[in-house]
Amino acid sequence: MTAWNIRPIASALWRNRTGAMLVALQIAIALAVLVNAVYVVKQRVDKINRPHGMDVENIFVVATAGFTKNFDYEASWRADLAYLRDLPGVTAASLVSNIPLSGSGSSNGFTAQPRTPEQSGEPANNFEVDEQAIEALGVKLAAGRGFEAHEILPPTDAWEFAPQVIITRDLAKAVYPPDGDALGRTIYDGLNRPSTIIGVIETMHGSWVGWDKVSQVMLVPRIRSGPGAVYLVRTEPGRQAALMRTVEEHLSTSNSDRLLRWVRPLERFARQSYLDDRNMAIFLVSITSALIAITALGIFGLATFNVSTRVRQIGTRRAVGARRLDIVRHFLVENWMVTTAGVVAGCGMALAIGYWISLKYELPRLDLYYLVGGVSGIWLIGLLAAWQPARRASEISPAVASRTI
Amino acid sequence: MLGYYFQLAFRNLRRNPGLTALMIGAVALGIAVCVMTLTLYRAMSGNPIWWKNDVLYAVTLDAWDPNEPADDRRPELPPWQLSYRDAMAVMESGMPKRKLIMHKAIGVLSLDDRSVKPERALTRMTTGDIFAMFDVPFQYGGGWSESADQGPEPVMVISRAMNEKFFGGVNSVGRRIRWDDREFRIVGVRDRWQPLPTFYDLNNGSLEEGEDVYLPFGWTPQFEIWSAGNTNGWKQEEVNTFQDFLASELVWLQMWVELPDAGTRQRFQAFIDSYAMEQKKAGRFQRPLNNRLTQVDQWLIDNRVVGNDDRVLVGLAFAFLAVCLLNTVGLLLAKFLNNAAITGVRRALGASRRQVFMQHLVEVGVISGIGSILGLAFGGIMLVGLRALYTLDPTDTGGTQAIAHVDVTSVVTALALALFATIAAGLYPAWRIGRIPPAIYLKAQ
Repeated sequence: MTAWNIRPIASALWRNRTGAMLVALQIAIALAVLVNAVYVVKQRVDKINRPHGMDVENIFVVATAGFTKNFDYEASWRADLAYLRDLPGVTAASLVSNIPLSGSGSSNGFTAQPRTPEQSGEPANNFEVDEQAIEALGVKLAAGRGFEAHEILPPTDAWEFAPQVIITRDLAKAVYPPDGDALGRTIYDGLNRPSTIIGVIETMHGSWVGWDKVSQVMLVPRIRSGPGAVYLVRTEPGRQAALMRTVEEHLSTSNSDRLLRWVRPLERFARQSYLDDRNMAIFLVSITSALIAITALGIFGLATFNVSTRVRQIGTRRAVGARRLDIVRHFLVENWMVTTAGVVAGCGMALAIGYWISLKYELPRLDLYYLVGGVSGIWLIGLLAAWQPARRASEISPAVASRTI
Repeated sequence: MLGYYFQLAFRNLRRNPGLTALMIGAVALGIAVCVMTLTLYRAMSGNPIWWKNDVLYAVTLDAWDPNEPADDRRPELPPWQLSYRDAMAVMESGMPKRKLIMHKAIGVLSLDDRSVKPERALTRMTTGDIFAMFDVPFQYGGGWSESADQGPEPVMVISRAMNEKFFGGVNSVGRRIRWDDREFRIVGVRDRWQPLPTFYDLNNGSLEEGEDVYLPFGWTPQFEIWSAGNTNGWKQEEVNTFQDFLASELVWLQMWVELPDAGTRQRFQAFIDSYAMEQKKAGRFQRPLNNRLTQVDQWLIDNRVVGNDDRVLVGLAFAFLAVCLLNTVGLLLAKFLNNAAITGVRRALGASRRQVFMQHLVEVGVISGIGSILGLAFGGIMLVGLRALYTLDPTDTGGTQAIAHVDVTSVVTALALALFATIAAGLYPAWRIGRIPPAIYLKAQ
C-alpha cells in the first residue's frame, strides 16, 4: 500500500462513476472555454490599449453645417476658428476633413516612385487639416515641421494632392523601406503627382480602428470642402467640459445661416469605435467567470455528496487508525483524479476550439502558455472547491462507526 | 397521485435548501445567458424583411480592377455598390417589377419662418419604388411616382419624428420645407420603421438610425449631391467635377430589384450579363463575368453582418448551458442517491419503478420550472444591462435601442430551451433512481 492510496481511491471512484464523469465533463468544457476566452480577451484589451499618439482626452470636436443660399463658407470658418483660438484654455484648433478614430474617413494609395498601372501603392488614411493641426491633435513630430499658414490650400471637392504633406512614421516605413527615412523626400499619389514630405509624426491613428494599417496616416494642408465644417479643438487639461458648453452656446447662435450640429468629446468617437471590442471582452469575462463558478460549485457538490454517503466508512477508517490527514488526503486525491480526467479531455477541446478561432479571426494559433495557465488554474480551483467537504469528512468522529452497527 | 408527488417534491426541496438553490440557480443562469445571446444574435443578424426574401435582390456588377478583387478577404464577390454609369444602364431595363437605386446624403431641414430650430436630416436619395419594395409604412400620404424621379419634382417624404418636430405631428402633406437651400413639398410622412439590421445599406454599420428624409434620386445629379455613405474606387482617374464623378468607375450607389419569379430572375440575370459583355468589348469589366443577384439572407452573410463575435458568443452560450445542465444532472443524481434509502422503502412497500421514476421526474420538473422562470426574468434584466453596454449617451437613437427588445421568437426559443433543459436534466437521474434494488437499503436499516 502506497502512502497516497491511489488504487483504492480510484476503485472507489469507479464504483460511483456517473457523478464523477459529469463533473469531469464540466471541467473539460470550462477549461476549453477559459483558455480561449482569456486568449481572445487579451487580444481585445491589447487592441483597445495600443498607443494612438493623440491627446484624445483633451480634444473635442465641433461640427457645423451651412444650409442657406446666403451662407458664406469661408467667412464662417474664419470667424469660427478665430473665436475658438481666442478662447482662454484652448491650446489649438484646426479644421479637419474627417475625425480620427471615428470610423469615417478617406484613403488613397502612395508610392516612393512614379508608379506603373499595375502598382497599387501603399494605402494611407488622409486628413485635410490647417496650420494648427499638429498642436490640435497633440501628436509628436519625430522629424521636420508642421504646416505654415501660407501653405494651406483652398477647398476642393475631389481628391487633389498638395506640394507638402506630413506623414506618420509607420507610413514612412511602408513607403520607404526598410528604414523609413522620409523627411524631405518625394511621395507620389495615384495620378503620380509629387509632394514633399516636410514632417514625420511619431504615431497617429486614423479613422478605422479595425484596419490593420490604421497607423498609416497623411496630413494634407487644405481647408476641408464646405458647407459643413468640422473643428478639432484641444484644450488645457481639465477645461474641456466647461469650454464645450461655452462653445456650444456661442456657435449655436453666432450665424443663422448655419446649424451647429453637435459638440462632442473626441473620446466619445474612440469609445464608439472600440465598443464592440470592449463589449466582447466584457461578455467573455462575465460568462467565463460564471462558468468557472458553476463548475466549482459542481465540484463542491460532488465532493459533499461523496462525503455524506460515506460517513460510516470514514468513521470506520478513523476507528481503525486513519489520521485526519489521511481522510483529507483521500478526498483531495479523489477530487484531483476527477479534475485531471476533465483537464485531459479539456486540453483536446481547448486546442480544437483554439484552432477554429484562429481561423475565424485570422489570429496566430493559441499559445500553449495559455493552456498551461488554464490547467494550473483549474487544478487549483478544483482543490479549493473540494477543500471544505474534505475537511468536514476529516472531522467525522470514529465513534460513528460503532454507533449504527 | 400527481398532487402527492408535487407535495413530496416541495418537501424534498426544502430539506436541502442550499443544494436546491444551487440547482435552480444553475438552470436559471444557463437559460438567462442563452436568452440574452440569442436575442442579441437575432437583433444583429435576423432578416428584417424575411417575407420578401425570395423576391428582393441586391444587384452587384463586377467592373472592378482587373488585377485585384474588390475585397481580398472575399475575392469571389463583386464590389457591393455600383458606379453611376452602370446603375443608370441597368435601370433602363424594364424587366424588374420594381427597382431602385439610392445613396445616403446629409442635409439640413428648415422652415422659412424659422419658427422651428433647423435640424440636420439623414437623407436617402432614392428612386420612388423603395416604399413599395421595402413595405415602408406611411402615417400620412405616400411615396412619389416615376415621373417625379425623372422630372425630378421637388417632393419629399419625411419621417414621423421629423414631422413631429416641424409640424407638431399633424398631417403635413402639401406643406413646404427646405432641405439645405432648396424648397420641397411634402407628399408623405413615413410611420415608425426600423429594419434591423439596415440590410439595404450596410456601409455605415448595420445598426444605423433610420432616415429622416427621402428625396427623389433625380436631384442627385441635378444638385450635385455627393454621397454621405461610402465611395470606393480602384482606377487612377482624374475626378475634378461632379460630371467626372458621375462618369468615373467609383462605386457609391446601392441597387435593389424585385423579381417575382424564377423566370424574370433568369431573364434579368441574362440582361445584366449581356450588358457586362457589351462593356467588355468597350474595354471595361475586365474581370471574369461575375454579376450577382443576391437575396437578403445571403446579402447579410456576404456583408459580414453576422460577425465572428456573434457566432462565438452563441457557441459560448450553449457551452454555458451545457455546463449548467451537467451540473444540475450531477447534483440531482447525488441528491436522489442520497435519499436512496427512503426510495428503497417505498419500493419495498409496493411502489413500482414507473411510480418512483414519475415521482422524481416531478421533483426535477419543479426545480427546472422554477429555474426556467427565474432564467427568463434574469435574461430580461441582462438585456436591459446590455442596452447600457451599447449606448454611449442617453440621446442616442437608432438600432442600439432596439437590441434590448425581447421579441416573440426569442421568448418561444427560450421556452423551448427551458423545456429541453428540464427533460435533459431530469431523465437520467429519475431513471437511475428507479433502478434501485430495494433489498440493499432495507438490509442496512
